[in-house]
Amino acid sequence: MSKEYLGEFEELVLTMVGILQEDAYGNAIVTEIRDRMDRDVNLSAVHVTLYRLEDKGLVKSRMGGSTNERGGRRKRIFTITNAGLAMLRSLKEVRLELWKLIPQLKIVHS
Amino acid sequence: MKESKASPPLWAIRFLTWFCPPQLHEAIEGDLCEQFESDASALGASRARRNFVFNTLRFFRPSILMRNNFSLNLIGTIMISNYAKVAIRNITRRKLYSFINASGLSIGISFCILIYLFIQDEKSFDQFHADKEQIFRIDETSYTPWWGGDPSNAYRQSAYLPLPALQAMKDELPEVAFGTHYRSHWSGALRYEEKVFTENFALVGPDFFKMFSFPILRGNAETLFRDKNEIVLTPAIAKKYFGDDDPIGKTVSLFIGEEKLLTVTGIIDAPPANSSLSFAMLVPIENDPSFERNRNRWGNFGFPTFIQLHQNADVRALGPKLDQLLDKYMGEKLDEWRKEYNVPVGTKMLTLQYTNLSDIHLKTAVSWHKVSDPQYSIILGGIGLLILIIACINYVSLSLTTSTSRRIEVGIRKVSGAYRGQLVSQFGVESVVLALLSMIIAITLVVLFLPFFNSFAERSISLTFENVIGIASFGFGLSVMIGLLAGSYPSLILSGFKPATVLKGRFTSRLQAGFTKPLVVIQFALSAFLIISSVIMFKQMRFITTKELGYNKEQLLSIPTQAGWSEASDNVVKQFRQALSVEPSVVAVAGTTSSFNKGYSKNGYKIKDEQKSSYVYAADPFYISTLELKLISGRNFDPAIAADSSAVIVNEALVKDMGWSDPLNEHLNWTEDSASLGYKVIGVLKDYHFLSLEETIDPMFLTMDKQKAGYLTTMLVRIKPDDIPGTVARMQQVWRGLYPDKPFDYTFVEDDVSQQYEAYQRWMGIMNLSTGFAIFIACLGLFGLSGINAVNRTKEVGIRKVMGADLSQIFLLLNKQYVWLAMIAFALAAPASWYVMVQWLADFKYRIVIGWELFAVSMFAGLFVAMATVSFHGIKAALINPAETLKYE
Repeated sequence: MSKEYLGEFEELVLTMVGILQEDAYGNAIVTEIRDRMDRDVNLSAVHVTLYRLEDKGLVKSRMGGSTNERGGRRKRIFTITNAGLAMLRSLKEVRLELWKLIPQLKIVHS
Repeated sequence: MKESKASPPLWAIRFLTWFCPPQLHEAIEGDLCEQFESDASALGASRARRNFVFNTLRFFRPSILMRNNFSLNLIGTIMISNYAKVAIRNITRRKLYSFINASGLSIGISFCILIYLFIQDEKSFDQFHADKEQIFRIDETSYTPWWGGDPSNAYRQSAYLPLPALQAMKDELPEVAFGTHYRSHWSGALRYEEKVFTENFALVGPDFFKMFSFPILRGNAETLFRDKNEIVLTPAIAKKYFGDDDPIGKTVSLFIGEEKLLTVTGIIDAPPANSSLSFAMLVPIENDPSFERNRNRWGNFGFPTFIQLHQNADVRALGPKLDQLLDKYMGEKLDEWRKEYNVPVGTKMLTLQYTNLSDIHLKTAVSWHKVSDPQYSIILGGIGLLILIIACINYVSLSLTTSTSRRIEVGIRKVSGAYRGQLVSQFGVESVVLALLSMIIAITLVVLFLPFFNSFAERSISLTFENVIGIASFGFGLSVMIGLLAGSYPSLILSGFKPATVLKGRFTSRLQAGFTKPLVVIQFALSAFLIISSVIMFKQMRFITTKELGYNKEQLLSIPTQAGWSEASDNVVKQFRQALSVEPSVVAVAGTTSSFNKGYSKNGYKIKDEQKSSYVYAADPFYISTLELKLISGRNFDPAIAADSSAVIVNEALVKDMGWSDPLNEHLNWTEDSASLGYKVIGVLKDYHFLSLEETIDPMFLTMDKQKAGYLTTMLVRIKPDDIPGTVARMQQVWRGLYPDKPFDYTFVEDDVSQQYEAYQRWMGIMNLSTGFAIFIACLGLFGLSGINAVNRTKEVGIRKVMGADLSQIFLLLNKQYVWLAMIAFALAAPASWYVMVQWLADFKYRIVIGWELFAVSMFAGLFVAMATVSFHGIKAALINPAETLKYE
């Protein structure tokens, strides 16, 4: 489980792929990150990250159908793999566990 | 929709296509376009376009680039032996193409190698001195208007210092370890027993041997030149005079103003070609005839001076100290001059600088032996680069013309599973192999042309072991680079063929090589420029060498009397004439002050308040008949008439200049003698060219007045045309009998005269060679272009043939555009060469007229060459059986 390390941006992009489901392609992820997190990211960074995630087996990709948009060029749709989901889940759990270890001052106080 | 109007910049898309891995390309491009479309509606087209470019460039990053399939490389290396094999087969199969390609490239490479050698040679100047960092030449900069210079360019630099400056520097500047004078390019007769020749020497001080690293083969550097009656020889001189005997301790006599007896105390290696100091012998400076006179004179600048600083001395401190020194010794004198010449106060009159030994060669501001302008290196480098680029582009266009025959191979390779990258590297290997072959030819060319290059650049570069290693590695690097650069474009085109179309035999795509057309025009314009220039130069040189000079320069020898500027010279002429009078093959002997191209003297004088000037030649009564000059009126000098010693014979130009109508009743008062009328004119000579044809015939006159006009230091001897070597040998014998201690130096006046034009002859040689190369390279370009054109129009030609066009019509169809190209090139070149040639001809006072016929001849020659070049492809295309080209339709 801990043999793969996932960077912050990688985790973000992976999460977005999970959220967007069938609609996860480069531009959509950029827009999603902008809308949800108010954070501007460059398309190339997203692409590079996606390919790296694919190399790690956390997402897989296929070419979508061609449409009239974007000059008929097809989209590369990314979907999260089981390994990817497991990775996200384990990250979340680890973080929760760590979170629990922080002295929960506020709770005690109230 | 609005978006349809705005489109992302095409070049950015192409760029993306180029670097982006194919498997990722479509999606990335799609995303970029989508972003562009949304940007275009939100921010406007121009902002969107800018964003698009920016975003595309952001993709040009290692994590994308590295996703290109480089695993090919592994397979690539396995295939390399196959590529090499196919490359060699292709080269041998198409011998003509390979030859043309290789020769174009090899000319480019050999030019670059020559220029590399030249630059290496420039950099190597004076680098062999061990103490070069510490050795400096002291230069002076003087404000010149006080001796008549041009006020707008008032400062002049020179390496000549007053004689006592060196001693003052050695005494008063603690930094100075050694110092020597150096006066070079003296010549005088050196005699040992019966051997006597004119030799070249330099005058130096004793420190010379401690400062410079010319190896001392015999003698002790510490003690040499302690005595002024010493001489140090180079091995060649020692061999010439002493053979295998030991020269040390022998006494020789050297004529420096007078006979000096000198003892050989050392042997020093002759300076190499890349030395700024040059000499065949060294003599102590004290033997300079002007030495005693100048010993304490600060006003006479005649002695180049070198100093060597102590190892740890700071040279920057030297500048101010030099100026203080000047102030101390010359302050008063400079103030005097300042008053005398009205130099404004505050204007620096004279300053001293230092130039490091290593910098002497490239310091053009100070004139010095072999000094050279660093700009030459830059210009030559530029030319080399240009030739190389043209050769590369020609290579590209030639490769494209042969691509058709390779397309089946490409198809088969692709079908068998070759990636495009593999094909690219295959063609890359091919061009590198060809470039390496060219390198071998290039090195051969370098060896062949080095002597020619040397004479042009006035160098003596030779090929040594280190040199060759340098050339080989430089050439190798260059060839690989050229191979890769020139090979990249054809290999991209060739590897792009689609196997299905190629193998089915349908090949309709046109080769895009638009860049070759302007290039061909440029190449042809350059050739036309050179052709026109060479033709004009050739005509001018022929005009000059065959022009009637007004005297007979053939079988005429010029012999210096070797007796100095004195009455003794006149006696030599008389004695020698007397001795030769029994020799039937000697026609006449005359004496004069200076022979053709061996200097002249010009006198200025005032006549009726008008400034006049004319050339003056002292002559004897034999002068006119020996030279076969024509007297228009009057008579020759007559030794029997005493008054003739103050008479003159003038030329037509002088008569015209003076405006005389009856010259024989006139006097020429050229000595400005107020007590008399001056010299009586006794004869008028028809104008003859006593100077080079670069000059007009100016006023000149002959006189027998030795005191005023000079002694007869040169003899002119006319001999019969048969058995010239025998006559010269007999004259030498006569000379030996009369003056065993003087060398018999002679030159033919004809050679002296043509030497005046040597620089032009050399330029003409260069022009001819470069014209040849330029035509060749231009033809290569045209050959490639016409080849591409023929390939592109194969099918058209087939159809036309089927429709009944005959060979000549097709030939015309394919070639008429080249006539246009050649015409355009010529139209560009003609005015340029006309302009340059007018400048060139301006050097000559006697010159040909540039007529239209010269241009016409050049143009037809150029057109002819162009047509001959293109006809190969034209005829080939026209002869193809249409069935061949059309059977697949």
